Amino acid sequence: MAARAIGSNMRIQALLLLGPALVIYVVFAVFPMLDVIWLSFFKWNGLDPVKVYVGASNYVDVFTKDPVFWVAFRNTMIWTALSVVIPPMIGLGLALGLNQPIFGRNTLRAIYYLPVIIAPIAVATMWRWMYDPFFGLFGQILTSLGLQSWVMDWLGNRDIALYSAFGAYVWQSVGFSMVLFLAGLQGVNRSLVEAARIDGAGRWSIFRYVTLPALRTTLTIVLVLAIINSLKAFDIVYGLTGGGPAQSTQMLALWAFTQSMQIFDFGRGSAISVVLLGVTLAVVIPYMRWTQKREETTE
Amino acid sequence: MASVTISEVRKTYGAVAVIHGVDIDIRHGEFVVLVGPSGCGKSTLLRMIAGLENISAGTIAIDDRVVNHLEPKDRDIAMVFQNYALYPQMTVAQNMSFALELARVDKATIRQKVDAAAAILGLEPLLDRKPAQLSGGQRQRVAMGRAIVRNPKVFLFDEPLSNLDAKLRVAMRAEIKSLHQRLGTTVVYVTHDQIEAMTMADRIVVLNAGRVEQIGTPLELYDRPVNRFVAGFIGSPAMNFIAGTLEAGQAGLKVASGAVIAVGPYPAELVGRQVEFGIRPEHILVSDAEGLDARVDVVEPTGSETHVVVDAAGEKLVALIRRRLPIAVGDRLSIAFEEGQGHLFDAGNGQRLALEPMDV
Repeated sequence: MAARAIGSNMRIQALLLLGPALVIYVVFAVFPMLDVIWLSFFKWNGLDPVKVYVGASNYVDVFTKDPVFWVAFRNTMIWTALSVVIPPMIGLGLALGLNQPIFGRNTLRAIYYLPVIIAPIAVATMWRWMYDPFFGLFGQILTSLGLQSWVMDWLGNRDIALYSAFGAYVWQSVGFSMVLFLAGLQGVNRSLVEAARIDGAGRWSIFRYVTLPALRTTLTIVLVLAIINSLKAFDIVYGLTGGGPAQSTQMLALWAFTQSMQIFDFGRGSAISVVLLGVTLAVVIPYMRWTQKREETTE
Repeated sequence: MASVTISEVRKTYGAVAVIHGVDIDIRHGEFVVLVGPSGCGKSTLLRMIAGLENISAGTIAIDDRVVNHLEPKDRDIAMVFQNYALYPQMTVAQNMSFALELARVDKATIRQKVDAAAAILGLEPLLDRKPAQLSGGQRQRVAMGRAIVRNPKVFLFDEPLSNLDAKLRVAMRAEIKSLHQRLGTTVVYVTHDQIEAMTMADRIVVLNAGRVEQIGTPLELYDRPVNRFVAGFIGSPAMNFIAGTLEAGQAGLKVASGAVIAVGPYPAELVGRQVEFGIRPEHILVSDAEGLDARVDVVEPTGSETHVVVDAAGEKLVALIRRRLPIAVGDRLSIAFEEGQGHLFDAGNGQRLALEPMDV
């Protein structure tokens, strides 16, 4: 009896602690998500009291009649592919360097992490100035190095605007993976490194056979977060180019926003959001399954 | 097989010195145990032999070759770590062959060496398992297998049995010792457990606060400890110490309570000297004859022997009795010290005092 009383008591305590958060998540996350899926089957301008049910026609339109959607889709895929490779690699490099007992490493860690805590819209504003072909930092540096011919309209040129925007994104997101990798590196067993040194492993072999395997969980987290964050890339692009020039930096999240909030076609905006959600789940779930399975086989 | 010569080795971290000039000569094929309390520098010394710590001063030579500036892999040593340090993502076979693969030994030779080591250690059925699927004792054997495969000149063991339960520890102790007898490779073994040291070593090096207290065979250390530290460290239950002043006319030791205890003959020149008299628990006899009156405070039967804590003349003493005696707490006993088994140490510096008549 006493045990059961304590047990139900603990359950009540848990519910009390989780309850408020659960309510908030249902109201502000689950409900909007379901509402978006619901909306994607209607034609609605956001103001009319009447929503017209149109079946799957929003999806059909998005896939067949909206060339910008496919540009945004392609850009989002390029952005995501770059995001899972470049920032984590730089972050890992920084973490490995800053894990060594070097002078001023705590200060350096703080400096590399600093961009993460800056609002993306502020980062976008900063970088828009730096990318300015006439007054911007990059133009000035190249000019002073005598490389005037290299100066470009970084954000105005359709061929490179996406990659210029990605540069700003790298600068902002590298610190985040660096911090995760640094935390992971603290879990690398020192005697394993020493055993490997005695076994004759050089720097590369120690990295390959001791450090990297120990970072596997961290790597999974970093890559999953990189995928999710890059698929929903919005604010930095919005602030830097607004999707232009000529939709060359349009992204799925940004296009969903534009459809709903600027073109006032909430149905179509919702349909794009649902597609984005589907893409995200289709990428992340198999990846997590796969890493989980791999971890189980090594344990 | 190889010798290891440690000469005047020092280790400092900044201004803090942790090893203060240590000299040890380890002979070909010898099993030497470095033992001492936590923080005595024994692991640091082992890691300096391995090349995992820099040597601040002095030299370490393996077979006459000074290795101070050689990388660990070039020293021809193998090390077994306390936490086994097995590569978790590799199978037992891969763990054992890793060093050889790095050295680009051909596959057939690797296979042959791994199989041979696995046979010695009974690891054949486990070769395809990952470390996480092994018990503590099996992991320890794999760690030893990894060392054997490399056929090193010197095996270094850093508290290899500390993570095992008591029963397994005893079994592995015997296994390591028989492995040494079989392979004949020089072994340097670090432990804080003096029983491990006593049972396994050809010679023991007792370290304390970064200095060598004594080097000798287990029984030399047990029977003739050179100072109070070694006397107290080696042996379990530990040696009893009674502080006092030696009285004239062989009357005995005058202790704090004012009583005079008979401690056997001692040289006349020690009369009046502040000393500590040491007697091992098994050398305290419960006698029927006239002896020192003692009150029983604690009785600890272990089965094969009984440890009895008594209070005699205000001193707490532990006696080890092998006979089954009907002793209970509060009983009064008459005890005596076995003739010729006492030790005298200077009360100031703790050094053993030369005692002709009492020395064994």
